[in-house]
Amino acid sequence: MSRGLKLTDILVTIVISIGFGILYKIWGPLYYAVKPLGLHIDQLIYGMWFMAATVAFLIIRKPGVALLAEIAASSGEFLMGSEFGLEVLLYGVVQGLFAEGAIAAFRYKRFDLVVVSLAGISSCVGSLIMDFYKGYIGDLTTWNLTLFIALRIIGSILFTGLFAVSLVKALEATGVTKLVRPSSKEDYEALNQ
Amino acid sequence: MNTFFNGRETWLHKINPSLKLFTITCLFIFAITIHQLNLMVAFSSVVLLLFLFGTGHSLKHILLFSLPFILIFVSTSSSMILFGKGVTTLFKWGYVHITEESLLRGIHLGFRALTFAMLGLIFALTTKPVKLFYSLMQQLKLPSKYAYSFMAAIRLIPVMIEEFHTIRNAQKVRGAKRSGKIIEKIHRMHALAIPLLSQSIRRAFRIAVAMEAKRFDSTKKRTFYYHVGFTKFDFIFLSYFILMIALSYKFSTYFPLLPDTDVRFSND
Repeated sequence: MSRGLKLTDILVTIVISIGFGILYKIWGPLYYAVKPLGLHIDQLIYGMWFMAATVAFLIIRKPGVALLAEIAASSGEFLMGSEFGLEVLLYGVVQGLFAEGAIAAFRYKRFDLVVVSLAGISSCVGSLIMDFYKGYIGDLTTWNLTLFIALRIIGSILFTGLFAVSLVKALEATGVTKLVRPSSKEDYEALNQ
Repeated sequence: MNTFFNGRETWLHKINPSLKLFTITCLFIFAITIHQLNLMVAFSSVVLLLFLFGTGHSLKHILLFSLPFILIFVSTSSSMILFGKGVTTLFKWGYVHITEESLLRGIHLGFRALTFAMLGLIFALTTKPVKLFYSLMQQLKLPSKYAYSFMAAIRLIPVMIEEFHTIRNAQKVRGAKRSGKIIEKIHRMHALAIPLLSQSIRRAFRIAVAMEAKRFDSTKKRTFYYHVGFTKFDFIFLSYFILMIALSYKFSTYFPLLPDTDVRFSND
């Protein structure tokens, strides 16, 4: 087996992510439409922006995919002229790195709800660090900040964990994931018979 | 990349895309080190000037692009204004506690978001994705398999959008309801996302196999159809920002329009 991602892995990851990029572009207006409500309801849907990484990883199951997916999704959103501007690209890189880190902690051997939820929470931490510098969230009153962080974490688990896993389960049923996943031990054993 | 409105080509189009991306990344980092409201407003106007007159789009289009900016400004600043830390109370009602400090900080954040939005749109409106990825390959040595995959994927966007409409129309014909409970909505999202994703993956796989057959993933030295280099406009672009930022420093020091304090909260 060769190291690194093959062109097929890269292209499939990027295409999935650009699809998410289009979704993110639509998600933006929804996000800032609910934001002025003030009580951080918007943070519940923030997790959508972490979803590309875990969905792509669950489909392709290779190292580096989560990071590439998050970068591709954010650059897609950026090049389509996102209202958030350059911010999306830099947040994307940071969130991708954090998601990749969480997945790498399990040595790319586990593809279940727990791992992707942790990857989501990790992305969430990355975005919070960015917000701390960019959005001065440390200067919110304590109760408000707690609410902000709690809602964002709940949203992350919901989107990157539950939704991503159920989406990929449905995709597995269509058989399309067999195209792109590395061949497993069972596949080789099947050849030996 | 904007296919809806095509503006004139301006000097901003001729700047090396890698350099442009690098510059606005630096400006982003610079902007988050600004904690004085006066300087932030001055810096925003530096970007605004370029946004209004530099992209080659008519003012009507620019105003149309700017419509979401109002929402962004309001949504970014509001939660900080209403719930930010501060001492000098201006208004208090229940949980809402507006202070002078939180008000200024909120407005500061609003301007910051506006600046990022304008910088991003300036880039998106004046950069062709193909040129960007060619430049990334030539100047920043991005491996070609990544660059060509990105370009192929961007070309697939219209196909994906078309397919999205096809699937939705097919569902409509079969009598899919529009409204419903949240559970039904999630089911409908699934019914839309699964065929869309699976078809995209299949298509991407076919294209990738073809590209591999044509050695697009080769790591040997490549030649390029487009050569992206540097011109005098790159120099003008850099000098514009260096000069204007220096000017805004001077301006905000000598003519402070607003209270000149650090917007971050401190306990002393």
